This record gives sequence, structure tokens and C-alpha cells, in this order.
Amino acid sequence: MKFKNVAATGAVFVTVALALSACSSSSTSGSSTSAATSTASAGVVSTLDSSLKGTITAGGSSAQANAETAWTAAYVAQVAGVTVNYDKSQGSGGGVTNWLAGSYDFAGSDSPLKADQQTSSQTICGTGGGLNLPVYLDGVAIIYNLPGVTSLNLSSATIAKIFNLSITTWNDPAIAADNPGVTLPSTTITTVTRSDGSGTTQNFTNFLSAVDPTDWTYPASNTWPIAGTSAQKGGSGVVQAVGAGAGTIGYADHSAIGTATAATVNKVAFSQDAATAAFTAGATTVPTTTGDLSQKFDYSKLTGATIYPIPLISYQIVCTTFKDPAQAALTKSYVGYVASTVGQAIAAKNAGSAPIPDSMLTQIQTSLATVK
Amino acid sequence: MQSAPTSSSGSADKTTSSTPLGSGGSKDPTAAKRSTRVRPGDFIFRGLSTGSAVLIMVILAGVALFLIISAIPAITADWSTNDQLNTGPTAAFPNFWAYVGPLIWGTLWAAAIALLFGAPVGIGIALFISHYAPRRLASILGYLVDLLAAVPSIVFGLWGIIVIRPFLLPLSDWLNANLGWIPLFGGAVTTTGSTILAGALVLAVMILPIITSISREIFLQTPRLHEEAALALGATRWEMIRLAVFPYAKSGIVSATLLGLGRALGETMAIALIISPAILVSVRLITEGQNSQTIAANIALNFPIATTLQRDALIGTGLMLFVISLAVNSIARAIVGGGKGKRKKSGKPGEPGPLSQLPSGDAATAIALDVVAAPGRAGVVDTEPHISEDDVEGAGK
Repeated sequence: MKFKNVAATGAVFVTVALALSACSSSSTSGSSTSAATSTASAGVVSTLDSSLKGTITAGGSSAQANAETAWTAAYVAQVAGVTVNYDKSQGSGGGVTNWLAGSYDFAGSDSPLKADQQTSSQTICGTGGGLNLPVYLDGVAIIYNLPGVTSLNLSSATIAKIFNLSITTWNDPAIAADNPGVTLPSTTITTVTRSDGSGTTQNFTNFLSAVDPTDWTYPASNTWPIAGTSAQKGGSGVVQAVGAGAGTIGYADHSAIGTATAATVNKVAFSQDAATAAFTAGATTVPTTTGDLSQKFDYSKLTGATIYPIPLISYQIVCTTFKDPAQAALTKSYVGYVASTVGQAIAAKNAGSAPIPDSMLTQIQTSLATVK
Repeated sequence: MQSAPTSSSGSADKTTSSTPLGSGGSKDPTAAKRSTRVRPGDFIFRGLSTGSAVLIMVILAGVALFLIISAIPAITADWSTNDQLNTGPTAAFPNFWAYVGPLIWGTLWAAAIALLFGAPVGIGIALFISHYAPRRLASILGYLVDLLAAVPSIVFGLWGIIVIRPFLLPLSDWLNANLGWIPLFGGAVTTTGSTILAGALVLAVMILPIITSISREIFLQTPRLHEEAALALGATRWEMIRLAVFPYAKSGIVSATLLGLGRALGETMAIALIISPAILVSVRLITEGQNSQTIAANIALNFPIATTLQRDALIGTGLMLFVISLAVNSIARAIVGGGKGKRKKSGKPGEPGPLSQLPSGDAATAIALDVVAAPGRAGVVDTEPHISEDDVEGAGK
């Protein structure tokens, strides 16, 4: 596979892919005639070989499941011979476990490979190990249900105090200070969290332990560390429970909150742009192996009116060296498509995620080019 | 005696046709002939059924072995220093037993509450079907209860979230306000309804079919003679049930309840969806944050994110559940076995082992006695053998 930054091809791709056109002939590279018809920015382009055939088996994170569905549909529309099976029931941990066992071509995971997983991945990937490629960006939304209060702002410290259960009523001075002019009732706060292990919890506790270590003394974890909250299964369970009770507050992937009311965090409301801005401002690459793109957020940099403070990243994890070159070609083609400007636009449109900045997409394509 | 099975469900109807008085006797003569020499079909079928019996033993042993082998690394590990076990869902526990202890409690506690609600209602339904309901209604009701068993547990879970949780909120508030001094109803009362009470109530509904269908079959086995004798002595319907049906069905009720308990112990999805769990030992029923987690739900919730050793730890908790279930089922078996012995002693030597098969002697006697008891109504008893109001009056006269 070749990857190149050609404005014209990119434009063709945007049009073709967003229309989910089944016409695969138009997706071959080199057709640069219709450039003038689209004003879409060039971005990062992946060239698809429509003659590929085979099945990509993958699974893991449910956070990126909707995006995977959208990517698969758009990809298969252009490369008709390829089937992509993404099993979201596995969750991030199950995805990585199955990938390490060699049964997946790539794993979807909300957290990058840990050091010991990186080591054990050498059995299936050769000495190069696995690559964590950040392909999915979203934000953790703070949702609440407080009759009579239609807009709410919470500072990072207040969020930490609410979720460590030290603030127990809605008219607490700390909440009042964040919301001048808003009349807050004395309703008891019911904190709704996840009962199942989750990348959302991981990202949220990363945020809490980074922004307010004095109030949040618990470790960052993929399982909610404190008893005494209302713990619900799945993001949808949290959204449901927050909607069902008065005085509730919880956290969930922004793309999954539906009609629930989200609070602004440090006066910033979630938007796709604000999440992308957060990635640009605060994410740094912390490679675990050559070419790896594991991201770490510096939450202290996520300030300002246009930067959402609680971003959520999910990865696709691939081998540096596949056992089967044919699967390598297939997976590179698919992941390359996902990590293109077009792929990100498709996820943003269909799954509500935020596009990964082009600078990172270029790095992903560079890393992907080394995959054999 | 042949009268009894006709009254309620489809399965009972089938057994009637093969009783000696019934019409489905085409197999019986040939069966007698075949038993004298071995034919290939006979041989093959015996091999198949023996194979199936062996297979289930092998599978069971295989599952037990898998659980034990997988669980050992987590049981023997030092949880506070192990990198995989001191993070995530297993972070707060020094060793395996500290982790599984509260889970065992939660499992038993949720199942016990479910049984408290489910068993009386299940037995009540069974009694209504077998002894009170008109025959048509009884069979419809029987089908409906059996249908309940076919509802997937995730549907029960969603029903619990959307219907039962909000439904119980006013009750929870009231209980907490007025009876909050009782530990069961104490603590911070729920606002979303995600309590063990809601979970256990849904669980109670889920175990109804198993308790009802087994109790119903047992109740229908009550010797007609006992019932009629009680009625003849002037007993009311309730007294007849108390004197004749309950003593006879006692062991059956217990084993039905224990099988229901087995079902409740293993229920996963509905519990995982409805209850807001915490791994701690608690008896509180209507709080949000102090509901003891069950083993099965805990596995379902944490399996996807578990690391290798955490997975082993979860399998270890599964092993504990396996042991508990095995114990419950063994107790149920023992009680059923003991009950059989007792029944044999109760002056009915002709009664065979299988519950639904009745000897011709008994049926004939019953019919004969019916004829004696109500001469002009023998035909009625034959076609509509279920005890109706008329029968009681007839017996009373």
C-alpha cells in the first residue's frame, strides 16, 4: 500500500466515501480530474486497492464500536472483496487478550498495550512487537439530571469532589461558586458510575487523578474504585440511570449520551472541535516500541475556552510483523483507511467522534507503512 | 388415579395416553416381544443413550477441571504485590478469599431474597393450577408460566431497569422513612431504584416457572384416595390440601424450591443490569451503593477488561459458584430421594419410581371408588377427573 498526500484524490475520497457509494472503480488512485468540484481540505489520504480479498477479524473496545461499524461500511463499499468483523462484546481487555493469542488481526482498545503485554506481543508480532495507533477520539461527558437546572458548569476540582463523594448536595458552595446566578436545590447528589470495567472509567480517572490529586487520591483505573455510588452496566446503563433519578450525575462517552444534559467542564462544552483541540494541545506520544504512537495527555495543558478538558482516546493495535503477509496487506489497508481524513470524517459523522488531527494521522500512516 | 395428569398441562396430557386405561398402547405389546432378543436398533439405541450419559459426566468433569486449573494461579498469587492483580477490579483485595467472600455472600443473599418472594408465589400458582382452577384456565395458566421460562434474561433485565426500578421507588422511600431503623431498610435510600430489592424481585419472577412446574407436577401426583378421604371426613378444600396434598408433596416442594435457588444463584445478565453492585458484605435492600455483588454478575461485568490473572481470579469465583450450585443440587437430590423412600413406606407399595407413571391397580381402584362414592357420576369422573366443586359436594353428601 502507498500513502500519499494528494489533494485531488482526497477530495474524490471525501465525496465517494461520505456518499457510501458502492462503486469501487472510482476509488482507484490517480483520478485527479474532479478536484475542483470539492472544497474539502486535502488531509491524509489512503489509497485503496479495490482488488483485495479476504476477512479481517478484530474486536475489543465497545467505545469505538459505532465508529468501526461506520468505517467497515464505508470501506467495504469500496473494497467489496473484504469482510471486516469487529466484535465489540469483548471489550478492550478481551480484544487485547484475543489479539495476543493471535486470533485477531487488530485489537480495539481504550488503553495502549502495557509493558508486559508489549513484551508478550513479540510472540505473535516478532521482535518489533505491537503498535498502538490512536484512531478514535471522543470526550467523557459529565451528564446530570437536576429538575429546574438546565445548564450547569463544573470545575475540575468540583467534579473530583462530587465523584469522590465529598460533595453530597447540589447546593454545595463549591457547585454554587461554579454557577453564579443559578439557583441550586438542596437535592442529594446521586453519583452514577460504571459497574463494569471500562476505558471510559480509565480516561475519566486519568483526568481526575491528574487535575486534582489532593481530592482524588485513588489510582487511575479501568474499574470505578469507590463503593457507595450507583454503579451501572455500560455507558447506556449510566445514561439510563442518570435520566431515571432526580439529582443524579454521571459520566459517559459523549457519543453515547443521547438526549441527556451534559454539564460544561471548566465552562467548555463538548464539541468535536474542542476534543480535537484537546488532542492537539495536550497529547504527547509515549512510544513503547519503535513506531508506536501511544498517547499521554498532559491535562494541565487542556485549558482555555476551546479545549475540552476530558478527552478519550481509543486505539487500534496491530502487529509490526504479521505472520501472514496477506492479512498484513488487508489490515494495513483497512487501518490506513480509518486513519485517513476521510475515515475520521466518516466516524465523526456517523459515530459522533472527534476527528484525529491530520498531523497524527500522518504519523499513523508512517508507522503503518513499516508494518509487514 | 389416572385422573390427575389430565387436568393441567400438555405434558401431563401425554402421560395420560400411555396409562393402561388410555388409548396409546400400540407400543406396549411389541416392546414385550423385543425384550427377548437383541436387535441392531436396540443395540444402537442403548449405545447412544449410554454414550450421552457418559458424555455429560465427561463434560461436567471437564468443566470442573477447567475451573480448578484456571483458578489456581489466581488463588495462590499474592494479590497485593502482583502487577496484574493490584490494579483494576481486583485492586482493593489482599488475596483471593477476601475477593470471593463478599461475592459468595452477595450471591446467596440475592438468591435468598428472590426465593423468599418467588417460592410462595410459585407454589401458590402450582396449587391453583392443580387444585383450584377450572381445567381450561389451569392449562392456559400452565402454558403461560412455562412461557415465562423462555423469556431471555436480558429482557428481564431491561424490564427490571425500565419498569421495576421506578415502580419500587415509592416503596423504598416509605420503607426507609418509616422502617429505616431496621438494618435491612437503612442506609442512603436509592434515587434511581438500582437496588438489590429490585434485582431480587425480577429474579423471583425468573425462578417462578421452575418452582411452579415442578410443584404442579408433584401436587397432581397426590393420591386421589388421600384427597377423597380428607373430603369424605368433612374437610374443606383448604383442609384437604393441608392434610393430603402438602404432606405428600413436601419433599417435592423443597426440591422445587432448591432447583429454583440453583437458578437464582447462577442468574447473570438481569442482575448485572439492574443492581448497582459493590463488593462488600451488606444486608441493605434499598440503597444505591451498598448492594452486595453476585458472583455471576461480577464475572460478566469484569471479564471484558480483565488481564490474564484477573481472568483467572474471575474463573476462581466461578469455581466457588460451581461448588455452591453443586451443593444446592445435591441437597435437592437428597431430599427428593428421601421423599421417595418415605412415600413407599406410606402404605402404597405398588407405587413406582417415576412420578408420572401410575400403576393400573391404583387407577382402577380410584375409578372404582369414584363409582362407589358417586354412582350416577362415574362417567363424569372419567372424562373430567379433576376435582371440581361438584365432586366436593358429592363427596360431602
